[in-house]
Amino acid sequence: MAANFKLTELMVVRCAKEINDKEVVFAGVGLPLVVVSFAMATSAPSMILFTEGGSIRATAPPGLAITVDDPALFANGDATFGMLATMAALQRGEVDVAFIGGAQIDKFGNINSTGVGDIEMPEGFTYFAGSGGANDMATSGKRVLAIMPQDPKKFVEKVDYVTTPGFLDGPGAREKLGMIGGGPTVVVSTMGVYKFDEVTKEMYLAEYFPGQSVESVKANCSFDLKVAPDVKVTEAPTAEELTILRNIDPTGFYLG
Amino acid sequence: MAVTDKRMTLKEAVSKFINNGDTVYYGGFQIMVPMALTHEIIRQKKKDLNIINASTDVGGLDLLVGAKCVKEMHLAWAMNWYVKAPYAIRRAVQSKEIKRYDLSNFGATSAMIAGFLGIPFIPVRGNIGTDIIKHNPTDLKVIADPFTGEQITVVRAWRADVAIIHAQKADYFGNVITWGTRGVTDEFGTMGTKRGVIVTAEEIIEPEITRSDPDRTLVPYFKTLAVVHCPYGAHPSACRGYYGLDIRFSQYQGKYERSKDLLPVFMDEWIYGCEDHAAYIRKYTEKFGQEGLDRLKPILGFKPKLDLDYGYHDPAVWKGVPQYTDEHIKA
Repeated sequence: MAANFKLTELMVVRCAKEINDKEVVFAGVGLPLVVVSFAMATSAPSMILFTEGGSIRATAPPGLAITVDDPALFANGDATFGMLATMAALQRGEVDVAFIGGAQIDKFGNINSTGVGDIEMPEGFTYFAGSGGANDMATSGKRVLAIMPQDPKKFVEKVDYVTTPGFLDGPGAREKLGMIGGGPTVVVSTMGVYKFDEVTKEMYLAEYFPGQSVESVKANCSFDLKVAPDVKVTEAPTAEELTILRNIDPTGFYLG
Repeated sequence: MAVTDKRMTLKEAVSKFINNGDTVYYGGFQIMVPMALTHEIIRQKKKDLNIINASTDVGGLDLLVGAKCVKEMHLAWAMNWYVKAPYAIRRAVQSKEIKRYDLSNFGATSAMIAGFLGIPFIPVRGNIGTDIIKHNPTDLKVIADPFTGEQITVVRAWRADVAIIHAQKADYFGNVITWGTRGVTDEFGTMGTKRGVIVTAEEIIEPEITRSDPDRTLVPYFKTLAVVHCPYGAHPSACRGYYGLDIRFSQYQGKYERSKDLLPVFMDEWIYGCEDHAAYIRKYTEKFGQEGLDRLKPILGFKPKLDLDYGYHDPAVWKGVPQYTDEHIKA
């Protein structure tokens, strides 16, 4: 099925396949909100959505949620607490998937959403928004799913600021600090899908998108990217998947 | 704490209850941002504020920083999502006009929960192992759990002098009514204040209406300093059940936030050039027409279907009824 699609659309469709039905998914602001609505409409109809804004719901919101406290998340929701209830569930270890974006990621899955430059020298530091809930989610979610556009400035050897813990400096670092969550398992970009080596905890390329190649992905990654021996091409989205997806974000606010 | 009518104008509320140098809980999250109060603080040129908050969107805090009202901020996330940057905050950090202290959202919320509880600090799972904790020893420390010896992050309690929030309704005694989240972190940021809460509300109601459904009270009157009737008080952010997010205006404002030379032009027109929030909304309709406001109308039809009654029992029915006994418990 050769439907025309944007790379952002495939990123969302592919990311949704990482959510298993009936899982509790804690979604951050941005594309994760689109992915969960798509997952609820397709392969994970019984997943449960948590947000920092306090929404707890087992049904897709009636319209596109632009923010994590969007009124659409609370209309016919199951519970409308504030941040306390959903973050408490994270800290109790009840969240299966912590689902976040970010501005930079390194090979150990550490994510920066605070800024670029050296924070010790504020005159040269360019602030982004900051952690928001990403740090909490990645510390305590059972596993972390990240979604981020591919760009050599975003996939870097070392992030300028570790906002959100991946495997930090490698194997054993999370355990040593007593983190209850397992850390990152999958990263989906606009060019491919990454997983993490069980032993070294380093990110490797597991799939590349149709029209891409190992070389093109490597050209858009600033660290020496490992590649799975069985690296494969990601399935293109079907026409039906694209129709469902475009109905979730009809103006392209997030899909572009 | 007396039960009195606390209604006043935006101007009176800010001049009476916000002092230079105050620590201010900045209410809302990505929606329900206290924009009318933000504008009034700028009009009154308040100085050296210390802002505490978890996350804040639509550039309200960016305006406050751009207007040089802020000295310090402790928070997890701030920007105008509709231009994807916190431009004025970024510039003010670079020029060292402000000091920013970062935490995670639940780090910041936990700090407010500790303030709400009246305790000095509280453990939190996040922040450990990252640059957040490395660069913010003011708010975060790692200590040994006194029971197990394992290391745990603790965050110090935050108690603002005063909280500024926007709400859907408030009665004139100052009971604040919300629905659809308890304002994400507003329940802690408000109740933890040392002096109290300034609330702008879309509607002012009779206290007997509040008392018919007290589960919805976010802030009880005894913590409230001032009640300001202020329709569209969160614009351009959304107010649940009243209006949606004004994406176009947030982007428009954001284009001014981007430049230190342009930002004063926006402020002259939309803040200093408006005597109050009603004047700001009048200007809005002059520029964008009534259809600008109409486009923000929410899709309604989500009224509660739960039928309930707060009935109580009158123990007077036992008057004159003798105790019951039988042969097993006799003497």
